[in-house]
Amino acid sequence: MKAIYGLYPDGQSAQQVVNRLRAAGLTDREITVCSSQPMEHYEFGQMDRATWIWWIACGGGLIGMASALGLSWLTETTWPIDVGGLPAFAWWPNLIITFELTMLGAIIATVVTLVITARLGRGGGLYDPEVTEGKILVGVENPSESAAPALEAALRAVDVGEVRTIGES
Amino acid sequence: MAADLDRCTGCGACVTACHAENNISTVGADQAARGRAKHWIRVERYWEGEFPDVQLKFRPVMCQQCDNAPCEPVCPTYASHHTPDGLNAQVYNRCIGTRYCANACPYNVRFFDFFNPSWDKPLHLQLNPDVSLREVGVMEKCTFCVQRIKSAQIQAKAEDRKLADGEVQPSCAQACPAKALVFGDLDDPESAVSRLTRSPRGSKLLEDVGTRPNVAYLSRQTEV
Amino acid sequence: MSALASRRITDDLVRPLTRTSWRFYLLVALFGGIVATAATAWLSQAYFGFGVTGIRWPVYWGFYVTSFVFWIGISHAGTLISAILRLVNAGWRRPVTRCAEVITVFALMIGALFPIIHLGRPWLAFWLFPYPSERLIWPNFRSPLVWDFFAINTYLTGSVLFLLLPMIPDFAVVRDRSTGLRHRVYKALALGWRGTPRQWHRLESAMHIMAIAILPVAVSVHTIVSFDFSMAPVPMWQSTIFGPYFVAGAIFSGIAALIIAMAVLRRFLHLQDYLLPLHFENLGKLLLVMALLWGYFVFNERLVTYYGNGPAEMAVFWRTQRESFAPLYWTMVICNFVAPLVLMGIRRLRTITGTVIASLGVIVGMWLERFLIIVPSLGHKYLPNSYGIYRPQPVEIIVAFSTFAAMALLYVLFAKFVPIISIWELKSGPQTPASGVADASHGAVSTAVRGAQP
Repeated sequence: MKAIYGLYPDGQSAQQVVNRLRAAGLTDREITVCSSQPMEHYEFGQMDRATWIWWIACGGGLIGMASALGLSWLTETTWPIDVGGLPAFAWWPNLIITFELTMLGAIIATVVTLVITARLGRGGGLYDPEVTEGKILVGVENPSESAAPALEAALRAVDVGEVRTIGES
Repeated sequence: MAADLDRCTGCGACVTACHAENNISTVGADQAARGRAKHWIRVERYWEGEFPDVQLKFRPVMCQQCDNAPCEPVCPTYASHHTPDGLNAQVYNRCIGTRYCANACPYNVRFFDFFNPSWDKPLHLQLNPDVSLREVGVMEKCTFCVQRIKSAQIQAKAEDRKLADGEVQPSCAQACPAKALVFGDLDDPESAVSRLTRSPRGSKLLEDVGTRPNVAYLSRQTEV
Repeated sequence: MSALASRRITDDLVRPLTRTSWRFYLLVALFGGIVATAATAWLSQAYFGFGVTGIRWPVYWGFYVTSFVFWIGISHAGTLISAILRLVNAGWRRPVTRCAEVITVFALMIGALFPIIHLGRPWLAFWLFPYPSERLIWPNFRSPLVWDFFAINTYLTGSVLFLLLPMIPDFAVVRDRSTGLRHRVYKALALGWRGTPRQWHRLESAMHIMAIAILPVAVSVHTIVSFDFSMAPVPMWQSTIFGPYFVAGAIFSGIAALIIAMAVLRRFLHLQDYLLPLHFENLGKLLLVMALLWGYFVFNERLVTYYGNGPAEMAVFWRTQRESFAPLYWTMVICNFVAPLVLMGIRRLRTITGTVIASLGVIVGMWLERFLIIVPSLGHKYLPNSYGIYRPQPVEIIVAFSTFAAMALLYVLFAKFVPIISIWELKSGPQTPASGVADASHGAVSTAVRGAQP
């Protein structure tokens, strides 16, 4: 993978670089930002915010609820066994199983969604171990040949950064 | 079942007969002292009063086959459930030994197999082939000799007739010399047990706990 | 946060992973030995028969179920600290969340073993799982023990995931700082984490959802455990207050366990700059509140029983308060109520040492409370002829108390392989005095405007 990126010591310089890259004609999708903490207070930290995860969690919960109700209703009515004179299908006790499986459904749906949408488990992507030391990485993967010098200029425009490249050039 | 406390002499023949009929092993004096004896029917002995006006009361207690059995809803594997005949069934194969049923039983008539049962030879020849042996880790209790009930039912069906009152006798009722234990069909209002249950001397054990037991205890209420 | 402070935090928190002293091996050997002894003891029970325990007619539940309820109770530590404090955004929680969540997960694992340990036929425990069997029989969904199965599994799954999710960025930290085998292992564990805004958003949303989901599950779990008792007509068990009573007791014991764990970590891993007296003081205040709440519930339960004056109930009542169980009962009251009130109520005593002493007392007291709920009632039900006295045998004692060694072992191993304080969460919060000057720009909302700024 070919890439060009800069490492910046704080959020403000990273924000300036992101603005410059946007001025150079890049969309948000083409800009890669990596940080060791969520940079919620900066505008660039708000990229890619929209998520369906809340709805999916609710959906998972509904699936859990349906399976619990189905399991208890089907098994208790198909093979009714008299215990203590209680009715074969009483909603009070089955409510507990329903609740537990609803929450389990929501939890699992959340985690699965996280793994998929955060693209966890899939390697690759632009990264530098310096990010762990507190630097913020702002860069571009696979820049087109013509745009590369302009991008490099944008990255170097902020003095405190350190610009690096990866790959064949 | 009806148990007439005015007739019971506390002899314990019912206990012995039950052990013999249902393949209940004895556990030895040591284990019995540690509370591991499995007396599906036990004779409770109570002393009342101060010397010299002491009175001895006996009460045979077995599984009350409750209509509202607290031992049934709590079993996680349905090993304890109610049969259409009105008996509380204990399915040994299904029991995983959580012992919740025994805790729930207010009468403490459920027993746990703490060890694999063993009979010294040649006592093993005395075992009843109609009753399964229970392995370590399962719960067991009085079944009203369900093997006798079932075999009588099958016999009656084969002969295309109904069961007569008194035809089925659990081993405890059969062994009692004072005829204190009476077994029968409570759905039949004319059976001996139904009549005894309606007797003014009759009461149920621990009725206020709400288990709706099916064993009536008869005793004269004496003036103190 | 200045780069130096940031690096120092990372250094301090990653150092326990890279530097191993002989003490680590000694602890692992010691605790591992105790756990191995307990495993042998339990296997001997499975082999020789359940009779090697002290369980008897009519006291069919003893040390094992006590331990079960106790450890499930301890597991509520993490949920309270991690989930509740996360939802109300209490900043002081940051160094504490992972310690707490670890307690939750391991306490749950240990607690969840006991329903299998105390079974008469443990090899058939899988029948609690709803699967279509050839016998066309399913578990009894109306049984509290099946509710236990579902609840504990849901809570365990949720807690494990709740613990694992924020560990991913920290695995990335260790990955970036290590080489060789350690680098490869942590690279796999970090799942390719890069720290893009997209990943951070998803992670934080997921954490938020999990925190909201795990709270009702935690409340339900210990309520369902309490249903193991209140669904049976045993004197002093059939109480409607058991649900909230047990949950309050669980949170109480959980906080105590957390305080002890934190104090130990602070000493052994040299985290004096991160786990501050402030944290212990806040937790100590929580401990005080929970002690008061516990006292309130016990008072409620006993007063109502006293006024009910049922003969069987009062027999059990006096058994704990005046007769054979009185020494244990009053020890419990002192450990759970008097000592925390005194030690945590007086500000001068609310030091790290003070909170640890109070917490140790609470651990003892809460274990006794579980025991005193189970055994006196079972030994003294309705028919006097069937009363019984429970005498625990070596097998049960070893297995029940080795769980503390098991917990310690798991904790020591965890602290060796994962940073015990969440590095990224610590850095994202308001700075603690020890870690450097607060970063002025951190709290400021960015005024950067999207658009060209040459």
